Amino acid sequence: MIREFSALARRELLRIGRNPQAIFTSLLIPILYLLLFGQGFDFSRLGGSSAPVPAGALSQALLGAPDYFSYFSVGMVAFVAVTATLFTGANVIFDKLFGILKRTIATPAPAAAIFGSRLVAGALQPVLLALFVLGLSIAIGQGTGLKGLHPTAFTGAVGVIEIVVAIVLIATMFTSLFLALGFVLEQPQTYFALVNALNLPVLFTSDALYPWGTMPDWLRTVASYNPVTLAVNTMRENLFPSGAYAQPAIVYLAGLAVWAAFMMTVATLLARRALSPRK
Amino acid sequence: MSVPDSIEVDGLTRVFNEKVRAVDGVSFRVRRGEMYGFLGPNGAGKTTTVSMLTAGLRPTSGTASIDGIDVVREPERIKRHIGIVFQESSADNDLSGRENLELAAGLFRVPRSETRGRIETLLERMQLAEAADRRVKTYSGGMRRRLELAVGIIHTPPVLFLDEPTLGLDPQGRAGFWQYVQQLRRDEGTTVFVTTHYLEEADQLCDRIAIIDHGKIVAAGTPSELKDRVGGDVITVTGSADAPDLTPALGGLPGVASVQRQDRMYRIKCANGEAAVPAVVQAFVAAGVPMASVALKRPTLDEAFLEYTGRAFREDEGGDATQWAVRVRQFQDRRRR
Repeated sequence: MIREFSALARRELLRIGRNPQAIFTSLLIPILYLLLFGQGFDFSRLGGSSAPVPAGALSQALLGAPDYFSYFSVGMVAFVAVTATLFTGANVIFDKLFGILKRTIATPAPAAAIFGSRLVAGALQPVLLALFVLGLSIAIGQGTGLKGLHPTAFTGAVGVIEIVVAIVLIATMFTSLFLALGFVLEQPQTYFALVNALNLPVLFTSDALYPWGTMPDWLRTVASYNPVTLAVNTMRENLFPSGAYAQPAIVYLAGLAVWAAFMMTVATLLARRALSPRK
Repeated sequence: MSVPDSIEVDGLTRVFNEKVRAVDGVSFRVRRGEMYGFLGPNGAGKTTTVSMLTAGLRPTSGTASIDGIDVVREPERIKRHIGIVFQESSADNDLSGRENLELAAGLFRVPRSETRGRIETLLERMQLAEAADRRVKTYSGGMRRRLELAVGIIHTPPVLFLDEPTLGLDPQGRAGFWQYVQQLRRDEGTTVFVTTHYLEEADQLCDRIAIIDHGKIVAAGTPSELKDRVGGDVITVTGSADAPDLTPALGGLPGVASVQRQDRMYRIKCANGEAAVPAVVQAFVAAGVPMASVALKRPTLDEAFLEYTGRAFREDEGGDATQWAVRVRQFQDRRRR
C-alpha cells in the first residue's frame, strides 16, 4: 500500500511541478483580489470626510476585524484553498481520457492508494497557496501604503495550529469533493459546468466576502453551516479575538472536520466504485 | 504430455444494457508459451474480451481463468499475473520514459533492489535508452508503443495481453514492435494473447487464430488450417450491375468447386485457379456480360475471413461492423455514466 501510494503520489507531484503555468494561474486570481478588489473597500469612508464611520461600529460589523481588508483577506485564504483544488478532479477526467487511469486500474494498486495519492498531492497545492495568500495579505500591509491584513492580537501556537488545520481541512474537503466528481463524470465539459455552478454559491453563502454585520439573518443562518464560513471563522477568531463570535474557534474547526470527514467518506466510496471492475 | 493450457475460457458472454451481446458465448484455450490471435473487425468484441480476461470488466456469464486464476473471483492476482498493452496510448506524457517505468515498478511492487537493473535492461532492449529521460510527449508513435510494452512487462508477467498494439503505427514501427514481442517470447516463454485487425500480422505471428465476428468465434485454428479450409484458389470477377446471373453457368465449368455472388462480384473457388481462368472469362464473353476486373487469389486469411463471416474484411471497416462498434461504445458509455 505504501509503495504504491508513494509511487502514485510522486507521479502527481512531478506533474504539478512540470506545469508551472497552472501554479501561476491559480496564484493570479487571489493576487488580483488582494491588490485590486480588496483595496476598493474602505467602509470607514462611507460617511464621507465629515462623518467617518466610528471604528467601534465598523469593528462590530466585521466581527472584531479592524478594517474590511483584514476581514476579507482571511475569506480569500479559505476561498483560495477551495478554488485551487478544482484541477484535481479535472486531472482525473483527463487521465481517464488519456487512458492513464485505465492503466493504473489494470495494475494491482489498491483503490485506496490511487485515491489517497491524489487526495494528498491534490490538497498540498491549495494548502501551500492558502498559506502564501495569508502571508502576502499581511506583507502588503507593511509600509506599502496598500491595505493589508492586520491581526489585532498575537496568535499563539495553538492559534497558528488551528489556522493551519482549518486550511488543511477545507482543502481536503474540497479536494475530496472535486475528486469524487472527477471519478464519477466522464466529460470535462460536464465537470467544469458543475464546478462553476458549485463554486460561486459556496462563496456567496459564506461570510468570506460580506461583513457579518450587514448580512440578513437568513443568509447568516445558511452561512453558519457553510464549510467556508467554518474555516474563515476559525481563522478570524484567532487573528481578531473578540466576543462577536457565536462559538469558540475550536467548535468551528470541529464542524469543519465533520464536513471534511463526510466528504472524504463519500469520495472514497465513489472512487472505489469507479476503480473496481465495471459491472 | 502436451503443453498445459494457460488461458481457459468457457462460454464467456458480455451483454451491454440487456441488449447488445458484445461477446456472445466465446470459448477457447491458449497453451502456455503460445501466441494466440483474436482477429476481427472493429466492434467484433475483441477489446471487450480482453477487458474481461484482464479483470477490467465483469462477464455477464461464462468463466475464464489464466494459469488457474479465476478472472472474476481473484482480480488482484490476475492483475499481478498478466501484463497489458492497451489499444489506446496510456503512457504518461508529462513523465519521462524512465519515470513511467519507475511508476509501473512501484505499482507492481517490483523488488526495489531489482527495479533499477530491470528498467535499464528494458530501456536498452526497447532501444529507448537514449530517450529515457525525455518526456514521453516528445516520443514518436513507435517509441511510445515500445515504452508501453516495457511498462506492460516490468513485472515479468507469464501472460501478456496486447490489444491492437500496432494500431496507427507505420510499417517500420509495427515491424519493430513485433520484433520485441518475439524476442520476449523466445527469452521468457511468455504466453501472448493479441487482438488485431491486421490480417498479415495475425498470419505471420500467431500460432493459432480465432476469427471473431459480432461477438462470436466463427472459426479457429492455425493460420494455414484456416486458409486450407477455404479450399484452393479463388477467382474474383467483377461483372456489370444489371447483367443476368451467371452463377449456374460458372458452377458447371470443369474444376470449379463453388460460386458465390455478391452484387456484381463473383467469387469462384477452384482447385487450380490458373487453369480455370480462361474458361471463366470465356463464360462471361459468351453471355455478353462485360467484365470490370478479373483477379486470381491464392488463399489468404482475407479469403478465410470472407468465407467465415460472409463479408470482405476491408469493406467491413466502414460498414456494418463500424455501426456495431459505435452501438457497443454508446452502450458502454451510457453504462459508465
